[in-house]
Parts: sequence; structure tokens; C-alpha cells
Amino acid sequence: MKKIDKQKLKENSKLTLKNIILNHNYLFSLILLLIVGSIASPNFLSPANLIQLLRASTIIGIIALGMSLVIISGNIDLSVGSILGLTAAISVLVYNATGSIFLTLLFTLAFGLVLGLFNGFFVGKTHIAGFIVTLATLAAFRSLTVQLGQGGPLLINNDFYYEGLRKIGYGTFLSIPYIVWIFIFATVIVWMVMTKTKFGRYVYAIGSNEKAAKLSGIKVDLMKVLIYGFAGLLTGLAAFLYISRFGSVDTATAGRSFELDAIAAVAIGGASMAGGKGFIQGSFFGAIILYSINAILNAFGVPAFITDLIKGILILGAVLIQKSLNRNKEN
Amino acid sequence: MKVEFKNIYKNFGAVQALDDVSFSVPEAQILGLLGENGAGKSTLMNILGGVLKPSSGSIMINGEANAFLSTVKAKELGISFIHQELNLVNDLKVYENLFLNDEITKYGFLNKKEMIERSKAVFKKMKVEIDPEAFVRDLDTSRKQLIEIAKAVLFDSKLIIFDEPTTALTNKEIKILFDIMREFRNNQISCIYISHKMPELFEICDSYVVLRDGKFVDKGLFKDIDEQKATELLVGKKLANQEIEYDESHIGDIVYEVKDLTITPFFEDVSFHLKKGEVLVITGLFGDGRGELAEALFADRKIERGEVILNGQKLKMNSIISVMKSGISMVPRNRKERSIISDLSISDNLSMAYFTSKHKKLFVKRNEENERFEKNQKITQIKAESPLKKITTLSGGNQQKVIFSRWFELNSDVYILDNPTQGIDVGAKSEVYHLIHELSLQGKSVIVFSSEYTEIKKIANRVIVMYRGTINKELVHEQINEVDIMYYATGSNLKEKN
Repeated sequence: MKKIDKQKLKENSKLTLKNIILNHNYLFSLILLLIVGSIASPNFLSPANLIQLLRASTIIGIIALGMSLVIISGNIDLSVGSILGLTAAISVLVYNATGSIFLTLLFTLAFGLVLGLFNGFFVGKTHIAGFIVTLATLAAFRSLTVQLGQGGPLLINNDFYYEGLRKIGYGTFLSIPYIVWIFIFATVIVWMVMTKTKFGRYVYAIGSNEKAAKLSGIKVDLMKVLIYGFAGLLTGLAAFLYISRFGSVDTATAGRSFELDAIAAVAIGGASMAGGKGFIQGSFFGAIILYSINAILNAFGVPAFITDLIKGILILGAVLIQKSLNRNKEN
Repeated sequence: MKVEFKNIYKNFGAVQALDDVSFSVPEAQILGLLGENGAGKSTLMNILGGVLKPSSGSIMINGEANAFLSTVKAKELGISFIHQELNLVNDLKVYENLFLNDEITKYGFLNKKEMIERSKAVFKKMKVEIDPEAFVRDLDTSRKQLIEIAKAVLFDSKLIIFDEPTTALTNKEIKILFDIMREFRNNQISCIYISHKMPELFEICDSYVVLRDGKFVDKGLFKDIDEQKATELLVGKKLANQEIEYDESHIGDIVYEVKDLTITPFFEDVSFHLKKGEVLVITGLFGDGRGELAEALFADRKIERGEVILNGQKLKMNSIISVMKSGISMVPRNRKERSIISDLSISDNLSMAYFTSKHKKLFVKRNEENERFEKNQKITQIKAESPLKKITTLSGGNQQKVIFSRWFELNSDVYILDNPTQGIDVGAKSEVYHLIHELSLQGKSVIVFSSEYTEIKKIANRVIVMYRGTINKELVHEQINEVDIMYYATGSNLKEKN
């Protein structure tokens, strides 16, 4: 059984385009979509449109980064949409009260972290399933948000907004929007955490075999608290970008069903819902793929009522492509 | 039923799992299929059971050539596969499991009465007492095993494959299983029996087939060979009959003490000590509380009462990591469930305990991990293509060597090894014994939880025999033999007094 074909091995480890695509299947879906997109609209591959695509995927993308950690650790976070709504709502209040971008950012991150840790505490320390805990906080956080806005929107004081936050939402550097830079920066940081630190190894280990992780000395319960905290922190960052971009928060709808898009992005990016497997760069591209699908549906002029139907089918298609390529790799 | 393998090849990627295997399965006999882990036994049996498709070759069944049997076809032909891992649904009742996917119905509704009656008849035929209406969850492992066998009986199998069925069984239950197998043979049912345990193979099997490295090596009758010869066939001549000579001059003073350790109802007032460089084996039979004791010593189970002392210091037994940091390592039992992290690479698996207790830096460096791998590879002889491959690409023995390396990295004073040779082949076992010996020569103290007599004899300086949660007897030197161990493990000495 130990007969190894040396030549074959060498070929496998070569950095050919084929190997890159086999190891990062989501790229295959992305290329396919870009081709389809350029057929639908000649402008699809124009720099302006591609930047627009990136900008649109930022908020879900950053949430998906945090969601990746939760999913790789073998769990799920359904509350991210509500966390986004609540932190965004409170950030508006903080910004209106202080007028300071820095304080608002700090507060938004801290508040996102706290809400995430709250989830994590119940999952890690009381051993209630993550699905249930975050299902409960999905409802609870949303309710708090709506109460805060009395059902209506919370608006940023216009004098502040145009002078301050709006610049972050709409400004560019090297003709790429700030928020896209922030998305890329966040992706690199999270990627480093997951691939270059022992924290990242623990996340994979817990998702792969929790018992073995525990018996290697990993504090599994504490790690779960931190993983949900991390997801909350990133959702806080997304909330900050959300108010920078929109200048207001509709308390009833802000962030609603974002959890589903984030989960879809992570799945398209190649993560296994059973835990242990997944890539941060996959979730980055997963979010972009998700928004490319939206953009293509627009470009084809698909009627609004059935866009979600087609989107659903395309998500399944993207995950199927990824799975079948995986199977090819293993055989 | 006539079954013949013809030129079977099977490869998984670059790995050739089966290489031109041809032989016929003797009718109405019990065939022992021998081979080390990774020899291709399971692959071949999965092909026969319709789970895997051969790369080329065919299986002749009653003269008809089949390139591939699906699981459905295999079942129709009367081939049953009793897997090492049990495939029962814990939340269903016994009879519901027996008839799962083959339910008997009447007017579209389940015919519960009929199914229960037939279950009872099968158990009667097998001479075992199991209530068809009990929940599988509430049964012990051996009964679950018997239910798997009952399935084969129920569906009138002509050929039954047993893949290491005795791993979780007590001697008494093994005897029942063997009686059932003999009964099968009398009823013209062929059996294929896979096991690592020589005495069992010699007791129950008529003929043997040996596979090595995916190739057919030999076949014959067990009555024509002895255990020595069988081991030689298995491993090739090299490793057979290798005994380790122990001298005890390196053993020092007491370093580790356990006092009145109790977790009811598993074990009570367990006290023992361990000297520097000593190998202590703790043994017993199923239900002796050994597994729970091992967990307690590594803080994986909350202690009710008692204390553990290392180098004169009382240990805080409140978390695994604090026990690790105070100088204790543990290789857990059941590698697949408790040790290997299947999605991670070989080197990540190897470094895991280092990460949790010694790694201080912000980043993990790939080259440091590789160095750690190479250093340990020299000691434990891990055979791997690359440390970056997933640990699941290794054979069981090599996986276990990675796990040993994981703990060698900590350089602990005490090594607790819970059933360290479970499910690994003869060659790898012998290497593990050498590693244990090396540890003791380096002045490490080792506690091995084991129930294999041949193993205990090879490695132990001292043996503690447990019986129902208490230490029944301590054995040294020439007392360490199968007869004495069995005598105390079964509590025979206690019954005499009553």
C-alpha cells in the first residue's frame, strides 16, 4: 500500500494553474461567472463595474470572514444580521452624540465584540447548541434594535455625516474605495490569524475533532467564546461601514437576512458545514461571487420577483462545482 | 456460495491498495484473512461488500463474473459485512434496527408484531437473550455487536464478513460469538474473519489467506502452521520473534503517587505509585473502571475525592492543560475518536500539544513545524510522504507514531498511554514497545493501560490488576503471566474468600 508514484507526487505539488484552481475551487466559479457576466453586458469587466462589484460585497464579505471562523469550528452564527442592526443603530447614536469617527469606530467594534462574546458565553459555557443560542439572539437583538428606533429609522446628523463618516463610505484611495481597502485589509488579517497563529490551528482542530482538541490541551469552551466574539467584532466593523455608507439605519430591516448571505459566501468559498474545512480567501471570493450573481441577474434584466430563485439555484450550482472538483482531487 | 477473486487491483490516487489479488474463498469454512494494517484487507472486503469499486479485476460468484457488486447486489446475493464500527441507530429499538430499510408491512403499516416475533426467533437461534423491544442505546457494546450479526442471520446470508468483531467483547462474549460462527459453518454458511489476535484466529478459523502490501502472499490451513509461522507470513521474516529484554537498573525513586482516587460508580480508593523509569501496566477486564481512571489522571473527568502527587507536589486536577504543564502526557485510547484531528496535516497534528503548552510566539512558523516533524520522525520512524499531507493519509500505525511524537515534544515526567497499540499492526506494535522502552531508559515513568497479555509481558516492570473499580492485585516479575492476570482480573481470589 505504501507504493508511491514519485512522479505523480511532484506533479501534484506543482504550482500550475490547474492545481491552483483545484485547490481553490471557488476561483473556478468566479471565472465562470465573470465570463457569463461579460456575455450579458460588455461593460461587465470594466474597472468601474468590477470596483462596484467589490464595493457591494464588502459588508457581507466582512461578516463572512467572521462567519468562516464559526463555521470552521463546527458551529453557526445566525445572529450576525441582528448584531449588525443593533451595533449600527447604537453607533448612529454614539456618532450623533460625539461627532468623532474614531470613537464611533472603537465603540462599534467593542459593541460587536460584546454581543459576539454574549453568544459565545452561552455556546461555550452552557453548552447550548450554537444554532439555538444565535437563533434566540437573532430575535432578541433585532427586537432591541427596533425598540431603539421605535420601529423607524435612526438618522445620522447630516452636518456631521457629510463632513465625516460619508468620506469613509464614499472616499477612494488609488481609485479603489476605502471600504474595499478595509475589506482587503480585514481579509489579510483574518487569513493570517487562521493560517499563521495557533489560534487558527485551534479553530480548525475544534471543528475537526473536538474531543481530540480538548485532549491536546486546547481550552475548547474558552475558544468557542472567543470565536463568537471574533465574529461579533467583524460584524461590528461591517456595521461601521454600513453607517458610513448609508448614513442611516432602518432599525427593522438593517442587516436582516445578512446571516444567510454570509453563510452562502462561506459555503461557496469551500467551507464544510460539518467544520474543520474552509479557507478565509475562499469566503472573500465567496462574497464576491454572491454579488457577481446579483450583478449578472441585473445585467440580464431578470425580473425582480424571480432573482432570488435564480440566485438560489446558482448558489447550489457554485457549491456543487466546488464539491465535484473536490472529489476529483481526492481520487 | 462460491466466491473467487480474480486479479483484483485497486488504487487510491498514487497508492496501490490492492495489487493483483486472486484467491477463492473456501465454501462452508471460516477463513481467516491476515494482514497488517494497510495490507489491503479492508479494501478487499469493501469490494466484496459492494462499498468500493475495484480499479480492475472481477469477483466470480457462483461462476458468474462481476466487475462490481453494489451494496444492494451484494446483499441480494447474501453477502453480509459486519463492520468494525457499529452501524446501529441508537435511538431505535432492537427490532427496528434489525429491520431497518427492510420493514415488514401490512396494508402499508408497519407490522410490529411480526418483526418482533422474527427477531425473537433469530435471537433464539443464536442462543442469546436480547429483548427486541429494548432501545439499542441501552445495550452494551457486545450486545450491539450481536445485533449486527443477527441482521446477517435474519436475511439468510450465505457469506458473512467479520471485521475485527471481538475488539469490544469480553472473553465470555467472544466464546458466544465463536459458537455462533461454528453454527454458521455447520449450516453451510461461509465466514471471512479479520482479526489481529492470533489466539482467536487459531481457535476459530479453518484456513487462512495472507495479504501483505496489497499483494496475495500465501494461503493454507491453520492446522499446518503455528503462531510463529503466521507472524512471519504477516510481517515478512524481519520482525518476527523480537523480544525486548528489560533490566531494571535504570529504575529510580518514586516520582508519582495516586492516593484514594475515587469517582463513583467507576472506581473507588485507587492508590498506587510510580518510580522514575518504571513501566507500570494497569490491566483488567471490561467494566473494571480502567478507562475512567485513565481519563481522571489526565483531568478529562472530574475527580470526586483523592489526590495525585508528582515530584512531591500535589497536582491541581482541574484542567487538562494544567496537568500537561505540570509534566504529564497522555496518549488516549481510540485514536480515531480521541487523538487524530483528521482535517489537519501530519505536522499540525504533531505540534498540537506543543502549541497548547509551550508555544509562546505570536506566529506559527512552517519551518519550525517541519523541524519538529523531522526531529520526531527520526525517533518514532514515521513513514510519510510529506508532513503537509493530512494525517488520514497515513496507516494506523504511523498515525499513532505521530500522536506519540505529539507528546514526546512536551518532555513530560510521566507518560500515560491508554491502550496505545489499539488497531495497529504487529510491526507497528513492536515499534511502540521500543518507544516505551526508550522512554523508560530516558528516566520517564510510563503508565500503560492495556488488556493484551502478550503486550503486558513484553513491556511491564510491574502490573496492577483491577477488578470492578478497585485494585485487586499487584504483580511483578514472573507473576506477570496470563494465568495470574486472568485469575485476579476475574476476581477469582475474592470469590474464594466469600
